[in-house]
Amino acid sequence: MNSTMSSKIIKIMNCILPVLMAFFVGGIVIAAIGENPFEVYWILISKALLSMTGFQNTLHYAGPMILTGLAIAITFKANIYNMGMEGSLLAGGFVAGILGAQLAGIPAIPLKFICLAAAAIFGMVYALISALLKVKFRANEMVITMMMNYALAKVLEYLATTVFRDAGNGYVCTPIVGDNAMFARIFSKSRLTLFFGIVILILVIMFVVMKKSRLGYEVTAMGKNFEFAEATGMHVGKTIIKIMLISGALAGIAGGGWMLEDQYRYTLTFSANPGLGWDGMLIALLGSHDPIGILIAAIFYAALKTGADSINMYANVPKEIISLIQALIVLFLAVKFIHEKFSFRRSAKKVKEA
Amino acid sequence: MLDSILYDCIYHSAPIILCVLGGCFAYKANVLNIALEGMMLNGAFVSVLTYFLTGNMLITVSLTLLSALIYGFVFSYFGITLKGNVIVIGLALNMVASAIAGFVLVLMNSANIIIPNFDLNALKIHIPLIENIPVIGHMISGHPIITYLSFAMILLMYILMYKTKFGVYVRVVGENEEAAKSIGIKTSFYKYAAVLIGAIGCALAGMNLSLERLGLFTNNMTASRGFIAIAAIYCGQGKPVQSAIYAILFGLARSLSVNLSIFAGNAAGLFDCIPYLVMMVVLSMASYIKHKPIKERGYKVNE
Repeated sequence: MNSTMSSKIIKIMNCILPVLMAFFVGGIVIAAIGENPFEVYWILISKALLSMTGFQNTLHYAGPMILTGLAIAITFKANIYNMGMEGSLLAGGFVAGILGAQLAGIPAIPLKFICLAAAAIFGMVYALISALLKVKFRANEMVITMMMNYALAKVLEYLATTVFRDAGNGYVCTPIVGDNAMFARIFSKSRLTLFFGIVILILVIMFVVMKKSRLGYEVTAMGKNFEFAEATGMHVGKTIIKIMLISGALAGIAGGGWMLEDQYRYTLTFSANPGLGWDGMLIALLGSHDPIGILIAAIFYAALKTGADSINMYANVPKEIISLIQALIVLFLAVKFIHEKFSFRRSAKKVKEA
Repeated sequence: MLDSILYDCIYHSAPIILCVLGGCFAYKANVLNIALEGMMLNGAFVSVLTYFLTGNMLITVSLTLLSALIYGFVFSYFGITLKGNVIVIGLALNMVASAIAGFVLVLMNSANIIIPNFDLNALKIHIPLIENIPVIGHMISGHPIITYLSFAMILLMYILMYKTKFGVYVRVVGENEEAAKSIGIKTSFYKYAAVLIGAIGCALAGMNLSLERLGLFTNNMTASRGFIAIAAIYCGQGKPVQSAIYAILFGLARSLSVNLSIFAGNAAGLFDCIPYLVMMVVLSMASYIKHKPIKERGYKVNE
């Protein structure tokens, strides 16, 4: 009991320490351009987490990120480096945007369901291509999904500029989504919508899948020792396809939801830069591939995003500092600074030496 | 038409070849370097920024290479000494490079850095006799120096990898680290060296991409060339010559898509995705052919 407690504390420390280190380095940079880092960080925290409207906005931004975080977690946990969630997200968002605009006459609830279902299906189809290439051709999934993301972004750019272009607008975008399809805001001041409820529902389902189901066990086993999982008779290929499909569906819904709660239309900056899919990767790492961890990490990360705008407004620091801090968090997260079972390792070494 | 296709093929291949050659050593040393993209972006950024500020080519080149070495050291320290997950570290460094460039661009209050009065033509080398040969002359002549360097590096890297002690040791470390350790090879040293070679290659690629060819820098101008290089390395299984051929194949696809899109009218935008699709198909085929004769059971991760 005592040892599991201490290993849990070490695990949590391994997530918090990188964040503190990244903020420390970020603070040095802020100080270097002549601003007070504490003041900037205080603005960040107070605007994003401590005010009611700010916190609701944070939750609003956290929604799609929780989904992409889960999408990454389920594949990364099995040591499958699926980077395709960015593509699935774009595909889902695009489809939801087009359907939401074309089918605007359908009543609100069925229309939302159609849009999100279509988004999930497109996300899954997109992920299925790379999953099949991985399993049948044994191509490296990371490279394949990267290539596919760029190809898809180009195709969607083409579709948005020609076939589905909203001619009445000066910049490249698709027609506006009908009011029936959009999720209404719950509170008047903040952007939070009912989609967040759907996100939480999916989070609960994924919690059960990852922690209690056979699939979750297989994923964990594959991540711990691929050869062993395979040797004990797991259908590793089938599991890869299953988790890639789940990952695609989650990212697709994230894209669809982001379209229907915030964006109104597909633009070339739909998923921003570096993109909601990439944010998901950081969140999954920060939450150490655990559903609860992902929820906390997503809220923290969304707070950085909402706070970034406030930094731009209230302090003389460009909000790009936040991307730097985010990148540093990922960098420091890659390393486990405190080793679990430290004493065990040492004793094992002693045995070897003897 | 043919002239420009062939010229562009060389033009688009060069930075990818440099990345590929750099990445090959890391691949062979079993440290997958995903940070090629970020290192290339960093090379592009630092070279244009220093030239913009100093106007001195010598300082520019040395600072660019120095910054590349810093990236290489950070990657190696986190990945090899601290034993972090190299894929995550690579992705993080890509983000760091892009974030630093974005941050500085905002501080400079502009969307890109353009070097004023920069004479691009002065950097192009016209080879006297070859220049006059009909088709080949136009293809080979008139490139900046790093482009020529990239093709020369294919041979150099081949020699370094297969004909020197260093190359053999790097490959041994990658194939069987325990065995290498047992005969007293300093494995970490060779891994560090492999990553640093990659960093230098990427810095040259970045300089070629931004300073030499365009004289300007915009953020994320590398547009995933680093990942294409990784795809090429996978296709060529880390062998310098084969991997470089895949890089040239991508360069050809890119050059075709650029040159042919003139005729495509409205569909021109679709041509941009051809190079990526070509790379996907080639990688799938190469992996399939590699694994087909092996009647092993099950799947292996990350190979």
